[in-house]
Amino acid sequence: MERHQNRETRTPRNNVVVHRRRKSKSYRLSYRSGLGAADSRLGWSPALTARRLNTSRKAAGISNIAERVDPGQLALLVKTEWQLSYVTPLHQFRHTQLKSYARQLSAFIAAGKQQGLAVEVEGLQTTFRVSFSLVQGMTQSDEDAESVLVQIHSKRLFARQDEPQKPVWSGWLTCINGNPDYLRALPKDFVCLPLFGCSGADGLSALVKSWFQQSFDCCFGLLEISHTSLQWLMALWTNCHAESGIQHLKMIWTLPAAPPLQVTYTEAGENYIDIEEVTSFMQGLKSHFYRHFRLDLSAGSLNQVSTALGSAKYSGRMKISNSRYMITTLTLLTECALLKMPI
Amino acid sequence: TICPNPPHMKITAKPFVSVLVFFPLEAGTPVNGNDEVERNMVLVEKLAYSKGLSPEAISIMLEFAMSLRMGTSLCARVLKCLIPATLVPQEAVVRAVVWLSVGKIPVSTQILFIKWVLTVFDMIDAKDQLRAVYGFIFNFVTEENLCPFICHLLYLLTRKESVVSCSMLILFPQGRQPFLLSLLSLYKVFCPEMVMLSIPSRIKSGFRNHNMPWKSALIAVQKGAGPHVAAGISPASTTIKTNPRKRKRCHLELPVMTSVVSKEAQTEPSSCGKVVPLVQLHSFAQLLENMHRIELPAQMGSLLGSSLALQYLDCVQDESALLRLNFWLGYALHEEFLFCGDRGASQNSQEALPFLDRLLSTQHFLQEGFSCSEAFLYKFLNVWDGSLLRPQILGLLSNIPVVPSAQIRQLLFEPLMQLFFTSSLFFKCGLMECLNNMLLKWLTWHSVYALEDDLDISLNSHTSINMTLSGFKDSVMELVDFVGRLASLGLQLEGCHSLLLSFVLDFYETVCDMFMKYGLPLVVMPPPGVFYPALFATDPVSVDRLAYIMHRWGLFTSCFDNAAMHVQAFHISRQMVREFNHYIIVMVNCLWNSKMFQLDMGLSLGEDLLLKSKVPQYWASFDLVHHPAFMSYAVDFHHRVMLAWRKDMDLNSIKDSKPWSWYLEFLVSQGYDGLKQFVQSNIGRQQLPADEG
Repeated sequence: MERHQNRETRTPRNNVVVHRRRKSKSYRLSYRSGLGAADSRLGWSPALTARRLNTSRKAAGISNIAERVDPGQLALLVKTEWQLSYVTPLHQFRHTQLKSYARQLSAFIAAGKQQGLAVEVEGLQTTFRVSFSLVQGMTQSDEDAESVLVQIHSKRLFARQDEPQKPVWSGWLTCINGNPDYLRALPKDFVCLPLFGCSGADGLSALVKSWFQQSFDCCFGLLEISHTSLQWLMALWTNCHAESGIQHLKMIWTLPAAPPLQVTYTEAGENYIDIEEVTSFMQGLKSHFYRHFRLDLSAGSLNQVSTALGSAKYSGRMKISNSRYMITTLTLLTECALLKMPI
Repeated sequence: TICPNPPHMKITAKPFVSVLVFFPLEAGTPVNGNDEVERNMVLVEKLAYSKGLSPEAISIMLEFAMSLRMGTSLCARVLKCLIPATLVPQEAVVRAVVWLSVGKIPVSTQILFIKWVLTVFDMIDAKDQLRAVYGFIFNFVTEENLCPFICHLLYLLTRKESVVSCSMLILFPQGRQPFLLSLLSLYKVFCPEMVMLSIPSRIKSGFRNHNMPWKSALIAVQKGAGPHVAAGISPASTTIKTNPRKRKRCHLELPVMTSVVSKEAQTEPSSCGKVVPLVQLHSFAQLLENMHRIELPAQMGSLLGSSLALQYLDCVQDESALLRLNFWLGYALHEEFLFCGDRGASQNSQEALPFLDRLLSTQHFLQEGFSCSEAFLYKFLNVWDGSLLRPQILGLLSNIPVVPSAQIRQLLFEPLMQLFFTSSLFFKCGLMECLNNMLLKWLTWHSVYALEDDLDISLNSHTSINMTLSGFKDSVMELVDFVGRLASLGLQLEGCHSLLLSFVLDFYETVCDMFMKYGLPLVVMPPPGVFYPALFATDPVSVDRLAYIMHRWGLFTSCFDNAAMHVQAFHISRQMVREFNHYIIVMVNCLWNSKMFQLDMGLSLGEDLLLKSKVPQYWASFDLVHHPAFMSYAVDFHHRVMLAWRKDMDLNSIKDSKPWSWYLEFLVSQGYDGLKQFVQSNIGRQQLPADEG
């Protein structure tokens, strides 16, 4: 165990080639280390935008957040597949005002439902109860703001008293190990919780987002988990074999072919994949596919990775199955979200 | 007999009216093989899916479809393309409901119609007449297939009065399907005494969404219509319907300016009463009056829409307000142009164009660029194709504040160089103009802020960053050098195109005035790659402008002679002076003294090579008489003046003392002031060209 925790890992090398060929060139090229000084016009430290994906990171440290975080909240975070977004810093967000935020958001949703098109009439016979709660024990550094969990329960108009309210939507905002330079550079009236995950009806997600936008002058954008990040997640998750064993590793590529081609690679059983081997593993996989199927995987894009510890898709859907690796995963995703910040 | 519409109808400006005239046909017109119908249907569908149909068109088409004038097949087809642009007239819906009861319409089409009504329900201009026929609609509940949809419609129409007027009895035997229960639960809310049935508290969501055939088209049409969509559909409801996976591009829409209502609870009530939301101010006078107690809007992005708000923003030096605006703006730019990836957002320039135009005019108004657009550009230049929204992007680029010289190469020059050498002549010209504007803005900032402090200049009024004078000079130097390199190679690539040359000379006109106009003590000479193409240009304007530029430099260097002690402060090396003198000598020798290709001129060509070219008097071929740019003037002058003395055509005769001065006057009279000034400042002493020929 110790051995794994201390080891530094590097961004898998082979992605470099792949990236140049991919359409998302903009994404990679968009983060240049030189930006710092130019951006320091707002009096920020140059580090603010000298951001790029870390090229090395600690192998997945196992954190015992199960001891610190409320088990109910943790269970929710772990059992659900989340659609990820990035959020620009929240202006005038106060962790002390969560109760009043819950009231405001309830009212906002009720108003939104009133205005809605007739086709979503199901909402009329239900009312929604919104709760905001702090997720204590998640933060890793002093700069990280406390995570916030938002839950929406539906209340039927004709519900009996004892009937439990049904959770219909949940979402959270978090910042785990956020770049301290960036966080420090923000003025005091901004709270940076760059990673947003939600699960539930799209209509509600949209309502919640637009409430946040109007209340804290922030913006939500889809957080795609890039090819590189997917490989990173795979590396981080597979490195944890000692703990939970790799039951399976599944990767899905999409290749630019007509008709569109999806390649699924499933590794079942007890195959041992070490972090150092990920690169060579990927390389080997690619040459295997090339040799046998004349498929150059590096021409396509890795779309989905799933292991027993979690799954992640390019579209920004992510599920963490084991709370012990949650912090590691969220650290990486926080990093991705911060990379998307416009300034 | 087939159809009564004019045969010459074209799909142009206003064909639609005539198409509609065609639709109220008599019953029984054949459908099969009727090409006119087909053509008109295609036209209607095209319009419906692109712009949506006007209320009148909806009326006519709905009547046409439901009356089954041309059979049942067309009916469904018409229903599918009934995308309202704004509103749906209530009368049309009521009439169509009446057609339902005639009973000829197939059930599937009836269902399609009710689904359509449900989809556009919020766009129906009024509901009173529909509610008036509530009982009539209620009768359809007994139709088994229609029932779920009718229940949904009734649910939407139900008022307390309507419940009372209807008999519930019909409903009960029909079982406990969720849609019935949903409707009944509503009835029970209104009139508990009338519904005897016990409604289970847990009702599965009763109504499904039936909007499939129309939803995407409706959203697209509403998106296109923008502000014209009537109040019937509030903007909020359309954004709510956004499917995050099929992201509607709403990030370019300016937020509506609203005051910070939701946060009032947080702030102290004592201060609340006094603040004035920006949204309530309508005139500049009001702005001034309330300047001290203005409250910023909830979303700073909304400021872009109001010049009054921008005026306020310009006055307050609120860092977090500006930061909020920058976050929003940067987000919009990034989402639109960088994160779009495969989604091909760049195509929808009909939104991006006005957005960028607005951003540009805002920056123009504030007289400075936003830092987010700067950060965005550094990224975007790497992926830009050089043609997408070129004027706007170059406009944004020219607003970039001074870039520190250490970063300027990586951030600006490398991507621009790639674009420059791979793009068309027009891009090259555009970029030259952009870089000229950029330099002008930098110099203007310098001249404004340098006055405040001799050494440190604060470059951006909203920011605290300071740049030393030498740092600023380094950046300007880098920029001028860069443009020199671009221009040299660009002129070579484009065969010294005079349009490009003109833009390059524009830039050097700015450069030569850096000290005279903007007080920046910096002299940078154009590289030979710019100087010689301008000197040997075939159009006289370029030569004239070069002469003007050299004249301006001459002014500068002469005052530099007088104040020799400032040499150190001025980035002028001996090398620079030598370069300048060299250029002057070349110009004078070329244009005036007819001493091209002398050994000391730097243009060394082997004598034998020159002889081989068989150009007579090659040393004189670029003097003001024989220069390709001026030859026509010389000939003209010769015709007008010299022929009085000579019969033969001899251009060399112009070089005699008297005609020469007349010739110069003649050129000046043609508007070549640059030459005039150049001659005055550089050739004052020796009046005559040294005629070697």
